[in-house]
Amino acid sequence: MTVDRRSVLRGLAAAALGGTVGCGRDPLARGRQSVSLWFSYGGKNREVLERMVARYNASQQAVYVQATFQGDYFEALAKLRTAIVAGAAPAMSHVVGEVVPYLHEAGVLEPLDGYPGASDLGLVRALAQEGTYTPMEPKPLVALPFNRSTPILYWNGSMLEKARLTVPDTWDALRDAAKALTNRSGDRVSTWGLECPISWWFWIALMGQAGGEVMRQDGYPLLGEEAGVDALQLWQRMVHEDRTMRPPPGRDYNAWQVTNQDFLAGRAAMIYTSTAFLRYLEDNATFPVRAAPLPGFRRRAVPTGGTFFVVMRGAPEGEKRAAWDFLRWMMLPDQTIEWATSTGYMPVATAAVTRLEREGFYVKSPNDRVAMDQLQHAMPWPWAASLFRVQRECVDPRLEEAVLARRDARELLAEARKQAIEDT
Amino acid sequence: MLRPRHRLHPYLFLAPTLAVLGLFFLFPLALAAYRSVFRWDLLTPPRYVGLAHYERLFASGEITRALGTTVSYAIVVVIGSMVLGLLLALAVNRTGRFVAFVRSCVFSAYVVSWVSVALLWMWMLDADAGLVGRACKAIGIGESGLLTSPETALYALAGVTVWKITGFSMVVFLAGLQDIPEELYEAASLDGAGPLSRFAHVTWPSLRPTTAFVGTTSLIVSFQAFDIVRVMTQGGPTHSTTVFVYAIYEHVFMNLRAGRASAMVVVFFGVLLLLTLIQLWAWRLGRKSG
Amino acid sequence: MRRRGPGRWALNAVLLVVAVLWLGPYLWMVLGSFKSLKDIMNAPMAPLPSSFQLEAYAEVFRSIPVGRYLLNTTVMALLIAGMQIALALPAGYALAKLRFVGRGGAFLAVMACLLIPAQVTFVPVFLMLAQVGLVNTMTALVLPFGASALGTFMVRQALLSVPDELIEAARLDGASELTIVYRILGPMLAPTLASLFLLSFVFHWNDYFWPLVMTTDETVRTMPLAVALLREQGTGVRWHIVMAGNVILSGPALLVFALAQKHLLRAVAARR
Repeated sequence: MTVDRRSVLRGLAAAALGGTVGCGRDPLARGRQSVSLWFSYGGKNREVLERMVARYNASQQAVYVQATFQGDYFEALAKLRTAIVAGAAPAMSHVVGEVVPYLHEAGVLEPLDGYPGASDLGLVRALAQEGTYTPMEPKPLVALPFNRSTPILYWNGSMLEKARLTVPDTWDALRDAAKALTNRSGDRVSTWGLECPISWWFWIALMGQAGGEVMRQDGYPLLGEEAGVDALQLWQRMVHEDRTMRPPPGRDYNAWQVTNQDFLAGRAAMIYTSTAFLRYLEDNATFPVRAAPLPGFRRRAVPTGGTFFVVMRGAPEGEKRAAWDFLRWMMLPDQTIEWATSTGYMPVATAAVTRLEREGFYVKSPNDRVAMDQLQHAMPWPWAASLFRVQRECVDPRLEEAVLARRDARELLAEARKQAIEDT
Repeated sequence: MLRPRHRLHPYLFLAPTLAVLGLFFLFPLALAAYRSVFRWDLLTPPRYVGLAHYERLFASGEITRALGTTVSYAIVVVIGSMVLGLLLALAVNRTGRFVAFVRSCVFSAYVVSWVSVALLWMWMLDADAGLVGRACKAIGIGESGLLTSPETALYALAGVTVWKITGFSMVVFLAGLQDIPEELYEAASLDGAGPLSRFAHVTWPSLRPTTAFVGTTSLIVSFQAFDIVRVMTQGGPTHSTTVFVYAIYEHVFMNLRAGRASAMVVVFFGVLLLLTLIQLWAWRLGRKSG
Repeated sequence: MRRRGPGRWALNAVLLVVAVLWLGPYLWMVLGSFKSLKDIMNAPMAPLPSSFQLEAYAEVFRSIPVGRYLLNTTVMALLIAGMQIALALPAGYALAKLRFVGRGGAFLAVMACLLIPAQVTFVPVFLMLAQVGLVNTMTALVLPFGASALGTFMVRQALLSVPDELIEAARLDGASELTIVYRILGPMLAPTLASLFLLSFVFHWNDYFWPLVMTTDETVRTMPLAVALLREQGTGVRWHIVMAGNVILSGPALLVFALAQKHLLRAVAARR
């Protein structure tokens, strides 16, 4: 038991600094147009974003971006909405794709088409607003892609080799592989074949693979109809019949964390999670991490995920212009490459993708290629103001019930549909 | 009772207090009642819906579920903290440095914040990284986490709550015990009563008002539980820990349903009113026999 | 009740278990704050860290402005407790000692507020303050709690037992009503006021709910809120960091407790 002297010194220095950091104002901010950015999701993403914001602030003299951390996506969204009501909203923030239509219809987002350079941003279509949604009529540009992702299948390279399996590409193959990889002795399971957070995003993926659509163009919540039931039943079967899948405990993103931890600790051989964690998992694993597209059923399908930058209509003109300057900078290939390669999210500028291909990045890191290739199977979201409510209030709470309490999937989805129609 | 020096004095003295209380307690309650007949997401204009929220809340079983969860939680908390509090008070009702030390240990949990306690126990109860969580797994309970299985989550929360507030009931019971005049015990001993009999005939009856106070305070505290749910389970898993206040919070901040949340607030106030009437009745009961 | 022999030993053993049950978790928390991530993940049952690290504390200070938050919280709690006493004295005096029309009604109104917790009022209050642009300010945190129904009640109770003659004598001496309230009765009520101050200070210092609802960024955010945010980090719960934050959060409360123990205990017991 030793006291690490270096860490003691570092700790004291940080303490001394920490006491004063909050009270002082960054000298760089003086004389510039200040604009606030609220961001969510901590850990690695937070580090990279803060680094990039600092670089932006240092690279020019006119604008100072003040970035504030607000918790996870849902908490940050709740704070953003109440801040809008309170007239205390920041000029810009980033929100999950599903809520953009709602915010636009509520009239709180600033349309960005008129800003300089808006028409030739050179974004990857499937990741930008125009490719992500299928609106009934054209909508103004209100959202710029930030951290965009698709769910992918990660597997433990050494375990798969040892079991001499190939990567599953259909639901049946997935079930077989999970059975082969699960290690149990009696009631205790030391390795689960598959772990997947029981949440909306992954259910949408499965529903899409079973051939369903979440909503009709007019907003009627199909919830995949039979396909939605198929999706839930796959989980139910793998958890309760095959007993090869562990539903990770915890609400919302807590479950995603557990999934990652289990994978790293070797407690789960395969996991479904976002391509966003690619770098984190590769860096922290003691085994080769392999990524693969999600297995298909009647077809291959994946939803896109992550967030979009949005600018608040209610912000003062000067701040909105400053916000645009920052966002424009973030859309440049240099920045999208830095963001994507430091995390695992996908680069959103087409020039960035070409450059990465030219430099052989995808040859060196084939795992990064997986999400990009899956984009051809990406499912667009309906541009419906009720989409977010349907997700959070009607579907998400019931998914857990279906899998943990093993309630009848068809019944539950019918309930969800009824609630969505009555409530939203 | 005195005459005021100046006619306006009493009103001036009461004005600040009544202004603040009125503006931040009484008026908001009335405002909540008013808003409960509208449907409002805070971003778009409100829409009148009459009693629709109340109908939905009761028909969908949401009120019953929130009440049920809160009551289950409250029962464990009240009984747990009262029994433990009394036992501990009896045990530490003596002089001595060690005893004083134990008293401080138990009471210290009452002084720190709910967030503090919640974070600490979240770690301790964690099935993979927590001392208590792993110990429980080893003896077969809480395989998938005490806080993350729908069957045990609420009781885990109640247990942590008891840990935090027992210090309060212990101290109150202690004060009650020390108020009992020594002569009563002496008289009982002279009559040949043993320790158990002394407890039943001297201690317990004298403690009735104290017991009522502790009981109803713990009841009110458990009905207002929020911090611990927000930090430890966020109302899950599968809504098994969505107590009343958390349900209201969720409706406002997560679902942006200000109207429905206001309806729940009105119902909640009604429940609290009922509890207070019970408190008054229990207090009067204690007074009568005291 | 005196007992000797085996009964005494058994009791002491039980008390020891109790002390461990209540002190143990804190010790675990402090020890945990000195661990490294590896210790947390790989040896969760081991009490002592493999080597004492201040990593966790460095990370806490790096990610949140601890000094500012502690300051915010202390200032807020002091302002609230102070304001409550300043308002409770005259109000309690009026209700206890002065005869006037509407006294019963005023008393009832104050008592009614005892029934209304913050969880009932937060939505309308938030919207009210939002409309005047006061959300996310110290005012939003302090003003709603500026008057304490409980405090007013406690002061009234205490003043009921003060003889009227005292006040009459002071009036005859030429003291103004305000002087009587604050300079004469105030000091007389010192124990009650001290109890009120302590209870209120501790309660509001620890408050999580109200600052959660009323603050939107770190200008006036308070410590409990900030430490709770440590939990939500995204790529893996780093318990040692959370515990380090927790030590910083609970440290002051435990310190105040250690220093003011007797007063706190008396304050709690006296409320019966």
